[in-house]
Amino acid sequence: MYQLFFTPQWFNGFDLVFEGIVLIIALLIAAYSWKIYKFSQENKFAYFSVAFITIALSFIFKIFTHSVLYFSPIRDVTAIALQPLVGTGLEFADLFYRSAFFGQMFLMLAALLLIFFIAQKSRERLTKLYEVSQMALFMYLIFLISFVANFKYAVFYLTSSVILGLIVVQYYKNYLNADKNKNTFNVMLGFLFILIGNLFFVFVYLYNQLYVFGEVFMLIGFLILLRTYRKIKQVRA
Amino acid sequence: MTNKRRSRLELIYDILLSVQNKGGTIKPTHLMYKSNLSHKLLNNYLEELIGKELIVIEEIPSRKKKVPSKVINLTDKGSGFLAEYRRMREFTDAFGL
Repeated sequence: MYQLFFTPQWFNGFDLVFEGIVLIIALLIAAYSWKIYKFSQENKFAYFSVAFITIALSFIFKIFTHSVLYFSPIRDVTAIALQPLVGTGLEFADLFYRSAFFGQMFLMLAALLLIFFIAQKSRERLTKLYEVSQMALFMYLIFLISFVANFKYAVFYLTSSVILGLIVVQYYKNYLNADKNKNTFNVMLGFLFILIGNLFFVFVYLYNQLYVFGEVFMLIGFLILLRTYRKIKQVRA
Repeated sequence: MTNKRRSRLELIYDILLSVQNKGGTIKPTHLMYKSNLSHKLLNNYLEELIGKELIVIEEIPSRKKKVPSKVINLTDKGSGFLAEYRRMREFTDAFGL
């Protein structure tokens, strides 16, 4: 069976739990941002919500492909269910998994790029035509990277690390501009942990135990975002 | 004072905050000065806020005047809106939106 990279066997399943938690956190943030959008009718909140929904979708793809790879009962059921579609040949099944990995990578890169765009500039930015064309070019590059990363997965994590690095810098600037607001700092810290997690993923091909560190750092990053979200929700009148 | 134009949401917030800062009840004229809006614009917003049940207009009989004077009261829903707006602003600031 096709596998993009090899993870430590003892950790199989734990990563799915971690990703399940991250998925819920992403959906919570997306839901609140959507609520603000409904209230204010300002597009930036809708874009931010879409970005976090896209992250959640990316994790759904990852959870699905990894569950199929890890657990033979799920694999068998999936094989039976997909037989009419992919046939009995292994090559078609591989193509299916490659598509799922592609979906995971493409969605994650698109979401990170969208967050970078939203956090970067003032409210008018996304409505301007030249910005849209710029985004189209980036989408093409993301498509290309996701395709290439199907053969060399490190390309995906390297690219996401670069975008995450830009997001962290952006949030650091935001932190300085917001009179060193603690919640702003925590958002920056959350993305910094996700960045460190991604850097560990880049080097999994050297030593597969690094995958565990990557997953743990990513989870901590999202838990920091959840803590910030909860603190915001507890703000009293 | 900044020259930045206030958004619709910010204007509603400013109106409701002005009422809350006066203990939940304010006269329309005072509100006009406090919220820095024209008479016409304020009336438009007040109609919308009444429709959304964020404020209510109360008529108080006056001994000097024949016509009862009006005061604006903040409702529980209005107080709730102010709290939710602060949370939204916190979220906006934290995530750099």
